[in-house]
Amino acid sequence: MSQSLYERLGGEAAVDAAVDLFYRKVLSDSRISHFFDSIDMDRQRAKQKAFLTYAFGGPNNYTARDMRSAHASMKLDDSHFDAVIENLGSTLRELNVAEPLIAEVLGVANSVRTEVLNR
Amino acid sequence: MSSEGIFIRFEGATYRPNAGESVLDCLLRHGVALESHCRSGVCQSCKLRAREPSRKDVPARAQSGLRESERRGGALLACVCFPTASLELERTESAPRYTTRVVSVEQVGRAVLRVELERPEGFEYQAGQFIQLERLDEPVMRPYSLASLPSDPTLVLHVAVLPNGRMSGWLAGAAGRSLAFRGPLGECCYVEGEPERPLLLAGTGTGLAPLLGVARAAERAGHRGPVALFHGARDPSGLYGVDELAALRRRMPNLRAACVVLEGPPSAGDEPRGIGERCELWVGALDRILFSEYSKLDDYRLFFCGSPELVALLKKRAYLAGASLSRIHSDPFLPPVTKDA
Repeated sequence: MSQSLYERLGGEAAVDAAVDLFYRKVLSDSRISHFFDSIDMDRQRAKQKAFLTYAFGGPNNYTARDMRSAHASMKLDDSHFDAVIENLGSTLRELNVAEPLIAEVLGVANSVRTEVLNR
Repeated sequence: MSSEGIFIRFEGATYRPNAGESVLDCLLRHGVALESHCRSGVCQSCKLRAREPSRKDVPARAQSGLRESERRGGALLACVCFPTASLELERTESAPRYTTRVVSVEQVGRAVLRVELERPEGFEYQAGQFIQLERLDEPVMRPYSLASLPSDPTLVLHVAVLPNGRMSGWLAGAAGRSLAFRGPLGECCYVEGEPERPLLLAGTGTGLAPLLGVARAAERAGHRGPVALFHGARDPSGLYGVDELAALRRRMPNLRAACVVLEGPPSAGDEPRGIGERCELWVGALDRILFSEYSKLDDYRLFFCGSPELVALLKKRAYLAGASLSRIHSDPFLPPVTKDA
């Protein structure tokens, strides 16, 4: 039986390795950093971890409704979503994750675009 | 594991979890109103606290991702807490109430009082935590950080005197009067067991109080790593406690103490005089000075207290400079939510 995406990436340890790298990139990205200005950083890091777990194909309890309600008032567009995807890709490259795996992760992350952008 | 004989005590009631049931699910099943979101130990919205003596029985899994100081204080995530022994739990914002008496009030800065309180029987705390003071004659509550150490005979607060301050104005003439408080609260505390770790402490105004507590706790613990304490104010008249910093500096060779003013420099006639002779003195924005002096913070433990905007900025910049969020302790001094200052 073949391993899941989450297992191939290295499971929770992989998420732990990626979360600070990813969150720092997001916070330093002037296209999107202002969305995080008044947010509790500990909670936001926990949310980033949940998002990465989801994108890595790991166990999660996030639903389409959560994704919609959490982002509803933020007036996000494709450029913001693209920025997050880009930061996710560069995080994984920095961690030397193989390109086909990166493509899979970005595919999962992209699958919530319509919910996050409330379309 | 069997759940026979395992109970959860919460807000005066006792609940029995089913086998394999989390604390969160058990309490929700019984109609207890609790916040929760991810239900997988990630978002921390269902954080509760175990009371003594059941803290030792909190499963490690339920504390995964929490800070050391929170763990030691009994914090747990209810959604991933599968009890193996009975637990007595409370909400993290709740704290016991004590009555006490003001021992002395001394003006130590242009608008800062040093207030000493009797330490009530049974009140235990860690240096750097805060308490919610309550006047007995009027419904006024304000948080103040403790500058004292648990080994000190009394509790010491630094109180910023505000115009028409309903607590600070009252405290000015309160020597000998009674009042109440709830606490201890907060997790801006020295962490034992890592004596070599570099520590960076920065705050504005009476943010100095918890930082002094943390620095003195480090001294008492025989901390060997470098400790840097930055005390910031808008202008020199907002600085205080410089003699105490200088004295601590003499006792602690690994301590760097610095005062930072946004506007200055102190000219003749400014109070307090001669700061620069007793303590390192910088002029400029605290965040700019701090992060030009300390740019790589991967190994540091950091403590930020005072103005909420500055604390948020310092926390973000420290994180971007490599600090782990679990080692950034912050205590933003939020203004009162009521209109009465």
